[in-house]
Amino acid sequence: MRATRWVLGSAALVAVPWIAAAVVPGQQRYVLHVLIFTALYGALALSYDLVVGHVGSLSLAHPAFFGLGAYTLALLATEARWPFAIALPASIALAAVVALAVGVPMFRLTEHSFAMGTLGFAIVTQVVATNWVDFTHGPLCVTGIPKPQVGALRIATLPAFYWMGLGALALVALLYRGLTTFRLGRAFHAVRDNETLAAAASIDPLRYRMLAFVIGGAVAGGIGALYVSYVGVLCPGELTVSLSVNLLVMVFLGGVGSLRGVLVGAAAFTALPEILRMAPTWRMVIYGLLLLVIVIRAPDGLEGLMRRASSRGRRPSASGA
Amino acid sequence: MALFETRGLTKRFLGVTAVDAVDLTVEAGELVSLIGPNGSGKTTLFNCVTGYLAPDEGRVTFQGRDVTGVAAHRIARLGIGRTFQLVSVFPRLSALENLLTFLQQHQEESLVGRLVRAPRVRRLEAAAVERARSLLDSVGLGGRAEAPAGTLSYGQRKLLAFAAALMPDPDLLLLDEPAAAVNPTMIEQMKAQIRALHRQGKTVLLVEHNMDVVMDISQRVIVLDHGQKIAEGPPEVVRRDPKVVEAYFGR
Repeated sequence: MRATRWVLGSAALVAVPWIAAAVVPGQQRYVLHVLIFTALYGALALSYDLVVGHVGSLSLAHPAFFGLGAYTLALLATEARWPFAIALPASIALAAVVALAVGVPMFRLTEHSFAMGTLGFAIVTQVVATNWVDFTHGPLCVTGIPKPQVGALRIATLPAFYWMGLGALALVALLYRGLTTFRLGRAFHAVRDNETLAAAASIDPLRYRMLAFVIGGAVAGGIGALYVSYVGVLCPGELTVSLSVNLLVMVFLGGVGSLRGVLVGAAAFTALPEILRMAPTWRMVIYGLLLLVIVIRAPDGLEGLMRRASSRGRRPSASGA
Repeated sequence: MALFETRGLTKRFLGVTAVDAVDLTVEAGELVSLIGPNGSGKTTLFNCVTGYLAPDEGRVTFQGRDVTGVAAHRIARLGIGRTFQLVSVFPRLSALENLLTFLQQHQEESLVGRLVRAPRVRRLEAAAVERARSLLDSVGLGGRAEAPAGTLSYGQRKLLAFAAALMPDPDLLLLDEPAAAVNPTMIEQMKAQIRALHRQGKTVLLVEHNMDVVMDISQRVIVLDHGQKIAEGPPEVVRRDPKVVEAYFGR
């Protein structure tokens, strides 16, 4: 039953380009574009939740890692003409190495200072991207980033990018599950909930915080690389602090520390403003009000709402049996 | 050679000497109590020997090995278990998961093995679950294994923290006020648990305020006052020691 639902759900997700072509023939391109963004944002939000939700460190450095990966791929692909198959791993590796180097001094700071420190790092990264014109092209942006090509496989059409995004999201979701459940998950949550007691349980808090921070940073770098190879242009504005705010909204709107919650949060965050385009003038106002209502009515996010709804739905059937 | 020893252990806070040149020896298999009035440095001493505070002077040796200034998670890894004065559990993890968390770092396995749940890691997990269930049963929490630790009563959490510290089978167990703020029935249960450990040949060092518990179960008592060791010996001798009486009741 569960397995069949899984197979059917996955098949439906893979078949979206054809479904969209059949249901909304004129809008297929637009729908796919929104879905590609949803998939990439979903993966990015999951990588962020590893740090914020599972080891409980409020990092604001995520845009920097996203940007590092994006610039690495953009510059390697345009200036150095590196193939995608080498440039993508290089983006991930560079983001991981920088996260490692930045994490060691940052985790010496406690809570609020850690947030401020990582915020500072994010701002410095953006300032460098904007002002080091010789290297990053600054506000002139990196343009003409080639479409990804791996061997004979060329990702150039919207459906192809959609499947790429979906594949990336699936991989990140698997990694997220592997890291946050079972023994690793217990160690992460022990560190988040009580660092002193975690140490008494032989868990090295710094080691697990670093692990989440570096993996989260590496994934953000990889998503940044995929993002620019889809969009084709990279400007310093992509890595502003507002990206951290967006990610925080997705994670907290959806449900901190929950795979389903974060994905729903990312989908709601990217798709909702688009759906509300039907009411153009009031779009952002309605969106803002919806966010407020959710924060007030469901402080544990959409995940909490869903969980309550499903337990309510189950109770009558259980008593009937 | 003693299992555990401190020599000249000293810790100062802003000019106040909380632990003052304390020499302390615990032999394997002993049940020793550390007592003293409030603020006499008992918990500070515990924190110094378990890596939560770095001592300013002196040495700590465990199984003949110098462990002075070693980080808390490494000390725990070496086989010194401890509980905390304020009851301390992982509230969002279930009672069973709390216990599993305490054993998993002692079972050698690679990060990748954990990530992909290698068969070896699964086997170790199954063994850990079995051990955790029997420990929960032994402290009377067998029926609450799946309950989030945060939903247990204060006394139950205290028993859970005690069982968790036993999970990795430590060579030395440090208990910080196991009977504090616990109802009389629970105190009896705690006493029985500690006695049972002692019978199994475990080494226990406890800090305790409840004199009934201390006099009842300890083989040897060490008394601290103003950070200094003022008396040491069997409970009935220490109880009559004039210096101890003075420390507790004044002149």
